[in-house]
Amino acid sequence: MGNTTDFKHFTKQSKKGILVIYINLLYKVFKAIWVLLFLFIQKFSKISEDKLVYIYGFIAFILLFFLIRAYLIFKNFQFKIDKEYFVLKQGIFKKTNTEIPFDRIQNINFKQNIIQQIINVHEVNIETAGSTKAEISIKALAFNDAKALKNAITIYDKKETIVEKVTKEKPFLKIGFLELLKVSLTENHLQSLLLLFAVLVGFFQQINDLFDGLGQKETIDKYISENTSALETSVFLIVGFLILLTITAVLSSVVRVVFKHFNLTVYIKNNALEIYQGLTTKKSVILKRNKIQHITIATNPIKKILGISFITFKQAISGKVAGKKQKDKIIRIVGCKTEQINQIKKLLAIHTQLEEIPFQKSNKYLKIRNYIRSLFFFIPLNLLFYFGMEEYNAFWINILVIPMYLISVHFFYKKRIFKFSEDVLCIGFGILETHNTYLPFYKVQNIKLKQTIFQERKNVADLIFQTASGKLKIPCIDLEKAMFIYNYTLFKVESSTKSWM
Amino acid sequence: MTNLFQNNVVSTFPDITKIDFIKINKKYLKVILLNISLYFLLLLIGLILWDIYFLNEQIPNQKIYIYLCLILVFLFLYTVFIIGFSKRKYAVREKDISYKSGILFKKTTTVPYNRVQHIEIDQGPFSRIFKLAAISVYTAGDSSDDLKISGILKEDAIQIKEFISNKIDG
Repeated sequence: MGNTTDFKHFTKQSKKGILVIYINLLYKVFKAIWVLLFLFIQKFSKISEDKLVYIYGFIAFILLFFLIRAYLIFKNFQFKIDKEYFVLKQGIFKKTNTEIPFDRIQNINFKQNIIQQIINVHEVNIETAGSTKAEISIKALAFNDAKALKNAITIYDKKETIVEKVTKEKPFLKIGFLELLKVSLTENHLQSLLLLFAVLVGFFQQINDLFDGLGQKETIDKYISENTSALETSVFLIVGFLILLTITAVLSSVVRVVFKHFNLTVYIKNNALEIYQGLTTKKSVILKRNKIQHITIATNPIKKILGISFITFKQAISGKVAGKKQKDKIIRIVGCKTEQINQIKKLLAIHTQLEEIPFQKSNKYLKIRNYIRSLFFFIPLNLLFYFGMEEYNAFWINILVIPMYLISVHFFYKKRIFKFSEDVLCIGFGILETHNTYLPFYKVQNIKLKQTIFQERKNVADLIFQTASGKLKIPCIDLEKAMFIYNYTLFKVESSTKSWM
Repeated sequence: MTNLFQNNVVSTFPDITKIDFIKINKKYLKVILLNISLYFLLLLIGLILWDIYFLNEQIPNQKIYIYLCLILVFLFLYTVFIIGFSKRKYAVREKDISYKSGILFKKTTTVPYNRVQHIEIDQGPFSRIFKLAAISVYTAGDSSDDLKISGILKEDAIQIKEFISNKIDG
């Protein structure tokens, strides 16, 4: 490559980084005040011209302020490599110095959002695990520099001194556009719809809060109530609404999947998985084998017919990271065929002998408990119908909801299964979808046995496995079995010498 | 189901059912009761103040029920904690530490030493009077829910901490 950068002295990012930081700052501001901006534009015509000058001036001031801020952030963001430490100093007024030893670095990932793609720079994220708070994101580096930095850090990783200079390797998995479409069409659309709903609710909340503050809530409420009463009167509208909902659901799945997994390519190199994916935000992730805590292989009935599943990898997270970062550490690849699943299992030392072991079920108590719990929902609901409504038509809802609930519980119980071989525990769960989580015993951090007073009478217990990437639960199994697994897990953890991370 | 493992059973196979758990220090019950009483007093004072300043003549008849409710809730809490106290037990073994508690919701937790990230000892104000301490053992991941043993003598807590630290380093 003929690189001059060796990172021995303090280095700044690529100068293009100013632009990336700038746009990032502006985006944050925009996100915070977009509703106000929207209102402002609406009233734009009513503002007199001499006031307009001030407003333009103010906007220009804001833009300039953040440009200077972006420049200062850029100027003060410097990093170098000193022996086996990555050293970073940053901060405009409050200077911070961070030093990370190489063996604490879990991953080095490249990422490119749309702006970074246009100006051709890469964002480098250095992930650490454990209790340190440091998660470093270098916003803009030229590809060669990014690669050099990564090599400089990983070269000290003595376990992997084998030079990986095999170019043009055949990808282990590559998902083309058509295949991706197939994946997205068979997604759980209900889930996509819920996700979309959650986003819209958040969106709506923001608008509502604002109108609330401005004392205009009534107008919105009135608008909504007028429209809903119109909805109720027309059956056609309801049907239309349902069709629209279905289309929205399918469309949102397609968009979500295509944006996230566009051009998904996976390589297996040196016991690590290299994953590249994304349309507007390109991401490249290297998953080292021993950093993976557990994997979940999931499919649904339609995907099963097509013979595809998706795999979710979970890496270690530290207790203090916020929700968003936790999500970053969950990596999903889609459209895997049986052959690829087997290879990944092999990579993670999940032996095929596990397949031959039959699954064990949870105790029937789990099913009964869910039926009993449902009474606490359905009885008050019907009482509400009885006392709260004048018409009795509402009771028809029961005909729809109760069978749906019963079927859900049936599948929930049927799919709540587990099995284990000498080294690996496999937990199955799901209602519509089928999820199988594979957890090697030695990755368990601590184990809990829980029993309510009702469970005690039936002699069943819940088992909870705490791993570095979250909890896994086997609910309601016979106490004897639970005790056996409890003791066996402890035995496996305590006699293991492998590092879990 | 055990067929698969019969050849691996080692003589030191740990069995959680066969170990003797130690009850936590009896004095800790006083600490718990003091803590609950403190909450009770604070709520009571709050309620009385509320009563004097806001409730004056609005609902004179129902007033008594609110007080009764508060007292009942706290009586229930006292009973639960007093009965539950004898169920709080811990065990320190060669390779792991366990704690169990609960009457309505029983819970047993075991943390193997080779997964321990760090150990903390802390003392509340009441615990300090009785020379008691709590020891918390943290593992990786979401560490909010790891093992915490409250109500052991401070010397014991320090001993346990050193014992585990030695095991980790050694």
